[in-house]
Amino acid sequence: MAAVLEVEGLKKRYGSLEALKGVSFKVEEGEIFGLIGPNGAGKTTTLRIIATLLTPTDGRATFLGYDLKKNPEKFREKISYLPEEAGAYRNMRGIDYLNFMARFYARNEAEAKEFVERAVAICGLGERLKDKAGTYSKGMIRKLLLARALMTRPALAILDEPTSGLDVINSLEVREMIKGFTKEGVSVLLSSHNMLEVEFLSDRVALIDQGVILDSGSPAALKEKYQAPNLEIVFRRALQ
Amino acid sequence: MRNFSNLLIKEIKELLNKQLIISLVFILVLFNFIGSITKSEMKKAMAKQKVAVLDLDRSDISRNLIGALNMAGFIIEEKTGEKERVIGEVRDSGLDLLVVFPEGFGQLASSFQPVTVETYSFLKGLSISGRTKTEVVRALINSTNDYLSNEFLKKKIPDADPKLLKAPIKNREFVVVKERQAEGSASMIVGALTAQNFILPVILMMIILYSAQMVITAIAMEKQNKTLETLLTVPISRGAIVAAKMLGATVVGLLSAVIYMYGFRNAFSFSDTDVTKALGGITPILKQLGLTISTQGYVLFGISLFLTMLCALALATLLGVLAEDYRTAQALSFPLVFLLMIPYFISLFADINTMSLPAKILVLAIPFSHPFFAMQNIMFGNLNMVWLGIGYNFLFVAVLLWWTTRIFATDRVLTMKLKWGKKKVVL
Repeated sequence: MAAVLEVEGLKKRYGSLEALKGVSFKVEEGEIFGLIGPNGAGKTTTLRIIATLLTPTDGRATFLGYDLKKNPEKFREKISYLPEEAGAYRNMRGIDYLNFMARFYARNEAEAKEFVERAVAICGLGERLKDKAGTYSKGMIRKLLLARALMTRPALAILDEPTSGLDVINSLEVREMIKGFTKEGVSVLLSSHNMLEVEFLSDRVALIDQGVILDSGSPAALKEKYQAPNLEIVFRRALQ
Repeated sequence: MRNFSNLLIKEIKELLNKQLIISLVFILVLFNFIGSITKSEMKKAMAKQKVAVLDLDRSDISRNLIGALNMAGFIIEEKTGEKERVIGEVRDSGLDLLVVFPEGFGQLASSFQPVTVETYSFLKGLSISGRTKTEVVRALINSTNDYLSNEFLKKKIPDADPKLLKAPIKNREFVVVKERQAEGSASMIVGALTAQNFILPVILMMIILYSAQMVITAIAMEKQNKTLETLLTVPISRGAIVAAKMLGATVVGLLSAVIYMYGFRNAFSFSDTDVTKALGGITPILKQLGLTISTQGYVLFGISLFLTMLCALALATLLGVLAEDYRTAQALSFPLVFLLMIPYFISLFADINTMSLPAKILVLAIPFSHPFFAMQNIMFGNLNMVWLGIGYNFLFVAVLLWWTTRIFATDRVLTMKLKWGKKKVVL
């Protein structure tokens, strides 16, 4: 399979703090690639760089052949980013929020309508979409934002801690939404400190700690390599 | 363009929310309430009012003065009896003014000896009508004094004109503005121009302040609601995001300022007809002196105002980036308010042209100062000052917009924040 995203030697420095020390990985077409690691490992920084929010201090990222530094606008056209602590406009109705976001990606109103219809189906919020986002629970907001990220069928969906702060039921629903979405042939790059979640969702994972990729591969291959029953143990053994 | 209008509409909708609409309606209702109270007080002051009179003399002169009071629009309620008792009676009634003509008033006045009329004002508050009544009575006494002294002079020096005797020197006033000259009083002209333009600084301050606060709030709310990161990853240029925020804030800021000014104007009843009436006689003098604004003058003023608004918006955008939430946004708008207050008060109470050079430079270094003084400079033909202000603001805007767009195009839009504890800006 062809790689949609290639990251090579990505570095990011905030003053004296080196958040990324040369991160490299590839995301292939139609796969879910998980970045796992503890808080402060560099997951969010990596995703924010690829989402064009931060500029790397050094290194290279290419997406569908486009260079991140030279063509950030090409990245923005084809990716969808769901930040960890994202919110929606409180005074906007859910349906209006989807319409607002769809218009940025659609070539015309008909396509925007199509995007919104897809989002309505993905999020499953039904009549509540007619209410203002300020009245939504955290779980509902997360589903709305995930639907927003997936409705345009981006070439790459970047999901930062997609189930962060959600209860068990909502987390399960969100995971199913993500799994179902990749059946349509779209790639997903996600991060989580919940290693079991990533193991369930991802085709391949990279273990990241202190700005360095420790190892990468399919969950099954990593478990076999480290003789571990799950990715949590894999991570602990990789650290040693 | 489609993406920009999508963003602009969202910005306007976000800013023009229920809270703002309610506060604008509240302002209108409040001003309407203040206006109705002020107007009813004015009406009371203008209407025929009752005055109590105690004429202990009943001479021709005292009767004539009472007749003059009646002619001046007062309803006379004549009292009889002892003065102390009448004072008590009037105090307990709804009346608030008593005029007492003492016994022997007419005889003393006609023999040109000192004579006293007593007026008792019963203060029950600070209403306008109480003040105007005593002023009318004082004017009547002054004209009676004038009449009596004229009579005295006619009697003593029959061949002389009493008016000439009392005021032998006449003053013919002329006002000169550059090469132009007209007959008139400088204080009258300054008064007329101040009355004509006094509302301008208030309008300027409102427009600039409202728009700037809207921008700061718009950016701070994006941060508080955690929507900024998502917005920065959609396929639209960062410049367009900045422009939409600034334009949206301008539209809502202008609308708020217009509503505020409408309410303000209604409340304090500065009607066009009053101003026009007051200026009616002086307009030819102003034209003769060239103290009127041409269409080109208005265009120049418009350019100055537009650039100043851009300065305020760009500065507000930068401050908005520093804000983390709505609360810090409110605190961050304080420097803008402070910078606006300086030219606002100077334009109301001082003349920039007579200030010392260092003070003048300091005031004019504030980009918001220029439109406050532009109208005066245009009127007095100091166009160089206006153009210099426009040039300065243009440079200021160019630098600020470049810097703001740069910040939005880099990590700084997310990482820049004001550290209150260390009082340090992290760039």
